[in-house]
This record gives sequence, C-alpha cells and structure tokens, in this order.
Amino acid sequence: MARIAWGAYSGIIVLFMLTPLVLVVLFSFTDNALTNFPINAFSLHWYRILDANPEFWKAFENSLKVSLGVTLISTVIGTMAAMVLARWRERLANAALLALAAPVTLPALVIGIALLVFFNKVGVPLSLATVIAGHLVITQPFVILIVYARMVNFDYAAVDSARDLGASPWRAFWTVTFPIVSSTVIGAALIALAISLDDFIITFFTIGGGNTLPTFVWGKVRTYLDPSINAIGTILITLTVGSTAIALWISRYRG
Amino acid sequence: MTTVSGGGPGGATPLVRLRGLSKKFGDVAAVQPLDLDIFAGDFFALLGPSGCGKTTLLRMVGGFTPPSTGTVEIDGQDVTRLGPEQRPTNMVFQGYGLFPHMTVRQNIGYGLRIAKASDAEIAERVGAIMTLVRIGELAERRPDALSGGQAQRVALARALVMRPRVLLLDEPLAALDLKLRKQMQEELRRIHQSIGGTFVFVTHDQGEAMGLANRIAVMEAGACVQEGGPEEIYLRPKTRFVSSFIGEANMLAGERRGGTVTLRAGIAFTDAGPDGPVVLVVRPEAIRLDGGTAGLGTTGRLDDVVFLGPYVRYRVTLASGEEIAAHSADTGRRAGMAVGAAVQIGWEAADHRVVAGT
Repeated sequence: MARIAWGAYSGIIVLFMLTPLVLVVLFSFTDNALTNFPINAFSLHWYRILDANPEFWKAFENSLKVSLGVTLISTVIGTMAAMVLARWRERLANAALLALAAPVTLPALVIGIALLVFFNKVGVPLSLATVIAGHLVITQPFVILIVYARMVNFDYAAVDSARDLGASPWRAFWTVTFPIVSSTVIGAALIALAISLDDFIITFFTIGGGNTLPTFVWGKVRTYLDPSINAIGTILITLTVGSTAIALWISRYRG
Repeated sequence: MTTVSGGGPGGATPLVRLRGLSKKFGDVAAVQPLDLDIFAGDFFALLGPSGCGKTTLLRMVGGFTPPSTGTVEIDGQDVTRLGPEQRPTNMVFQGYGLFPHMTVRQNIGYGLRIAKASDAEIAERVGAIMTLVRIGELAERRPDALSGGQAQRVALARALVMRPRVLLLDEPLAALDLKLRKQMQEELRRIHQSIGGTFVFVTHDQGEAMGLANRIAVMEAGACVQEGGPEEIYLRPKTRFVSSFIGEANMLAGERRGGTVTLRAGIAFTDAGPDGPVVLVVRPEAIRLDGGTAGLGTTGRLDDVVFLGPYVRYRVTLASGEEIAAHSADTGRRAGMAVGAAVQIGWEAADHRVVAGT
C-alpha cells in the first residue's frame, strides 16, 4: 500500500515537472496559432516560420559561437588547471578548488551585474567576447572539478614509462596521458557546452547588442507570444539534453 | 669505496658510475652523498627497508629525479642532466605503468614506434621479446585483462625490447604472491643469463636480493652501508644493521678493551680494534650444541626445540639473559635433547664477526 502511494506521489511530481516540456515539444510540431488545445494538425509550420526569420538565424549563429568558444577555452584551461592541482598536496588543492568553484554558488544575477559593472569600469565594450568571458566564470569550475576527480586517481607510472621509452613530455602527453583521460575531458567539455548554451542571465548582462537563442526567446515573449518559441525551445532542449547525455555516456557517469 | 669481487674484471671501467650522488627533499636527505660502481653484466641489488632511499637512488639513475649533488655516468658519458628519454636505461616500474588504452603488443612496441623503427623491425623485435618472456599468447589483450604476473612480464618485455644498456627494476616482484614471486625470480635469472644484460633492482626482501643478485648494496637511512657479493654481505657484515637485515643473526653484547673482547655472556677472546662497546654477530647455523671442540662457548638452558624440516631450530637462554638461536641439520639429534636442561653451546671464532656499537 505504502509503496503504491509513494509510487503515485513520485509519478505526480515527475508529471508536474515534465508536462511543460512535453507541451513545448508537442506544440512545436502543430500549426496552431496559439499554444492551446485542440491540436489542428501536426506540421513543421513554426519551424518554417523560424527558418524564414533572419533574427533567429543570427541568434542561432551567436549561440553557436559563444558555446563553442566557451567549450574550447574552458576545456583547455580547465584541464591544464586540474592537472596541476592534482599534483598539489590534497589540502592545498581542496582549498584552491573551493575558491575556484565559488562562482557556481553565487546567483547568476549577481555574477551578471558584477561582470557588467566590471566591463564598464575597465572600459571593455560589450560583445560576444564578453559573453564568452562571462560564461567561463561558471563553466570553468565544472571542467576543473570533473577533470581533477579523474587526475587524482591517475597512474603517473604510465607517463613515466612513456618518458622512459623515449617520448618527450609533449609526446608522452598526447600518446599516453590524453588518451587515458580523454573520455573525462570530452565529458567535461560537453557539460560546459550545455551550461553555456542555455545561459540567459549572464548573457543578458554582458552581450550589449544582439541575441543568443535564450535572449531571442525572451525578446519574443516580451513582444508577442508566438508559438515559434516552442520550436526554439525544442531545439534548445535537443541540444542541451543531447550534449549532456553524450557527456554522461562518454564519461561513464553512473550517478 | 671498495670495489669488490664478483663484479666486473678488476680495473675495468664501470658501466654505471655514481659519484657523490645525493638527493634532498626539502630538509630531508633521502639519499646521502654516495659513490657506487656497477659493471657490465652485473645483476645488482639495492637492498634496504622502506624509506631508506633505494627507490630515489634508482630514479636518479633512470633520470626521473634530478639529484641534489653528484653525477651519474653511464658508459663513460655524463647523463646527470639528461631526461629519462635520453638515457640508455629502461625501467620496470613498481606499479608496472602499462598503457591501459593499448594492447600488450602495442605496449611493447611503444618505445620502438617513438624511435621511428620500421614496422617490420617492430613486429620482429616485439615478437622475439614476447617469446623470451613467454607472453606470446597475450599479444592482443589489454592490460586490465592481465593477471599480476602477466602484467609484470609485459612491463619487463616493454623495457627489454629497447635493448637498454642498463635495465632498472623497482621492486619488481613486490606485488606478486609468494609462489609467483619464486617463479618470476627464476624467470628473471634466466632472462638475465640469456641476454647477458646489466640489471639493477630495488628490493626490501633480502631473500630476493640473495637469490638474484651477484652484487648487493645495503642501504640504511639514505646511506650505502655495505656493498659486495651476497656471500661477503652474509658472512662478513660490517654493521649490526647489515647483520640483522640479511638473514638471521645472534647478537651478543660486550666490550673491547686493549684488544680483548669480553662478552656479557662471560666469554672472552682476543680481537684487535678500538676500545668501546661491541656486538658479536654469529649465524644460527654456526652454533654447535654440545660441540665440545668448539673454539668459543658457554652454557645455557635449552628453552625450545622446533623441527622445521631440513633443520631443527634450538633456542637457548644464556646466563646473561641473552637468547641464542641455533640451527642444526642433524635432525635426528633432537631426540636426546630435553627442554629445560643445561646445554653447552659453541662456535668457531672464524664464524663470528665483531662490530662496533651496542
């Protein structure tokens, strides 16, 4: 009895959380003029509307530029940082990790405002570059933490062996260290990608002019609630869930 | 530094020459300045308890740890400033350090690929070395599908295929169980004999050192306290530490004054050397019970008799309270020995060593 009650309770919660998402995906494939039942017919109508909108394509392009830039930079720097930290004494490394992870614990709003004030004071014009810098503040800690967790268990005897067998430090890294940890690094990169792709608040404060997909949606919501945002929503869901799923699968994350 | 028998021919140039080599980690001296010569063809053991600096010394020879002072010369060339990839040495690491993302064959061929050997040469040399260490059937396996003994052989093959001037082994058998350890010990001897190379290995197991090496350096607290052939180290230990670390030894305290040593156990004999407290070291197998004709002796109480197969172990307590262990291969004699009875013990003066200290 208690089990059934708990099952039903959990089911309701899951339903409550997923229904809006399911509706977004569902209505993106209809030709309804409003997001309401009954459904007239399934079609790619709203995707065609989006396709015809140059602003959408500009936002899409900006999103890709920002996300890929953030992914590349945070992965390279984060991996290097994690490798150094893993060689530190544990206590010192933990203190450093705590300091580096601090931005994740702050509200994005605070980070966004702080960055805006900072860029203004220093005189850096807002652009996609400032958005990338802003995203790095929150993606970097994830990459460092994930790669660090792998590197503390790393068997350095394998790298010593590679050096011993004639490999330069550079060669040893690319033929031994990186192949061994590559799944972790790729996993961390895809998580950074997912975080960057759907960030709204930091992007909003640091972009100046122009849009990424999340700010484009926000703009549409403010002016005219047009079901094409369901299509954008579906695209974003696919990209973030997809990259996260690939990340978890590649890094063999098991809860 | 005495250059000892058992090594290369007298006057030959050593293959590895360490001079004033030392290493400090912060304020801690892991290895104190030492000189050591290793000759071509040697199977050389660095023996000592954990933390005595033997692995640090080996890593300095391999180029993994830069020395604080001193030089490493291999084959007449000063390699002190060279990295491991530029030295004619190869190392078998304690954890083996196999590459988990490569098959056994790829692991062994790694060094040759780095050296840009031709595919044909790689295939031939890898095949030959796999036959030598008897792992031919494992070629396509990955390291996580190998047992400890197999991983050990792969690590050995991966280093040997490079034909190093000196092969370095860090506790090569420590991770294996007893039976496998005996097997690998014989295997290492066989390989050393068949390729005629120079092996240097680190171990904390005196049995392993005695069983493998033709020369042993005993290390204590970062210093090399004695170096020589196994027989010399066993029979003529220079310090109390060496005698207690290598095999079993009876220790009897005493004092030397004017060339006469008087033991607390009530034995006196002449032995030249400086005045002061001394320890007499004598091996259990050198002790005779009721020998009568022995050069030195005293009486004691027989406390224990244990039959151990090839020999019988007797424990005797002397009047001084010190205990003596005696091993006798004459296992039939124990029938006449009563526990608790008084026994005469003795040994020949040639079988003991007197070392300074308490």
